[in-house]
Amino acid sequence: MRCEELEPIIEGLADGTADPGAEARAHLAGCALCTRRGSQARAIHELLVRREAPAPPPGFTAGVMARVQRQRWRAERAVDLGFNLAVAAGVLLIVAGGVGLAWSLGLLRIQANLAVLLEAGARLGGRVAPQAQTIGVAGLLLTMALGLWWWAEADSSF
Amino acid sequence: MRGTPEHELVERCRNGDETAFRELVEQYKGLVFAIMARSVAEPARAEELAQEAFLRVHQGLPYFRGEARLSTWIYRIVANLLAQERPDLATVSLDATFDDSDEPRVQPGADDRAFGDMMLRDRLDKAIRRLPVPYQVLVNGHYLKGLRYEDLAEALNMPMGTVKTHLHRAKRQLRHLLETEFR
Repeated sequence: MRCEELEPIIEGLADGTADPGAEARAHLAGCALCTRRGSQARAIHELLVRREAPAPPPGFTAGVMARVQRQRWRAERAVDLGFNLAVAAGVLLIVAGGVGLAWSLGLLRIQANLAVLLEAGARLGGRVAPQAQTIGVAGLLLTMALGLWWWAEADSSF
Repeated sequence: MRGTPEHELVERCRNGDETAFRELVEQYKGLVFAIMARSVAEPARAEELAQEAFLRVHQGLPYFRGEARLSTWIYRIVANLLAQERPDLATVSLDATFDDSDEPRVQPGADDRAFGDMMLRDRLDKAIRRLPVPYQVLVNGHYLKGLRYEDLAEALNMPMGTVKTHLHRAKRQLRHLLETEFR
C-alpha cells in the first residue's frame, strides 16, 4: 500500500469509523509520514470532541421574543393600514353618495330655511324609505366591520 | 411524532402560544447559537444570525408538517442561513479533493509540536470557518451537539454514506489547512 492510498482514509482510522486492513496496518507501522498524518487526524478529532459549545448570551431568548413581537407588529400594521384604507374609502363613498343624493334633490341650492329644509327632509325620507332594508344591512355590515377592527386591535397578545 | 412533547410544542406554537415558542427557543438555542458562533467569527453577528434562525422558525412553523424531527428542520434552517451568510463557501463539490502538493513535505519523525500546543484550538476554529458551509455545518453539528448521522443526512438532504464521507473530507481539509495556512 502507498501513502496516497492510505491518505483518504486517515480521518476514518483516526475517529474509529474505518477499519484498517492488515495491509494498511502494516504500512502505518513502517511509514513515518502516514503515522504523522494519523496522529494529526487524531489530534483534530479529539480536539473537536473536547470542544465546549459556546453558550448563548443571557438575554438571547428575550431578544428573540422581542424580534418576534416586532415582526408581528409590523405585519399587523400592514393589515391595519389596509383595513383603515378600506374603511376610509367606504366612508368617503357613503359621504359622496349622500352629497350626490342631496345634489339630485336640489338640497344644495336651498338657502337656510327651516320650512324648506323640513320639506326637503320629508321628501328625502319618502325617497329613502323603500331602501330602508338595504341601508339597514349596509349599516349593520359597517358596524360589524368596525367591531371586528376593534377586536383585532384589542387582541394584541401572541 | 404524533403525541410526543415535540409535536405538542409545535401545535401550541401554531396556536399562537407565546410561552410555547419561548420554550422552543430555550430548548434549541444551544444548538443554534453554538453552530452559528462556531461558523461566524463576530459574536454579535453570530447572535444576530441565531436570532434570525428562530424568526424563520416562527414564520415557518405553520408550514412545518412534522415529517422530519424539529431539530432536523431547525438545523436545515441554520445551514441555509449560513450558506446565505457565506455565499462564497455555500457549496462543496462531491468530488472535492485536495492537491497534495499544498501539503508541506515533512521529514519523517518531524516534531508534532504544532498539533500539541494550546493554540491549536484557536487555529482549529479559524480553519473551520474557512471550510465550505456544508462542511462547517457537518463538523459543528456533529461534534458540538452530537447530532446523529441520520439527522445530519436529513437536514442536509444527503444520503447517510455521503454525510460520513463529507465529514471525513471536512476533517481532512482541516488537517491540510492546519498544515498550510494556519500553521
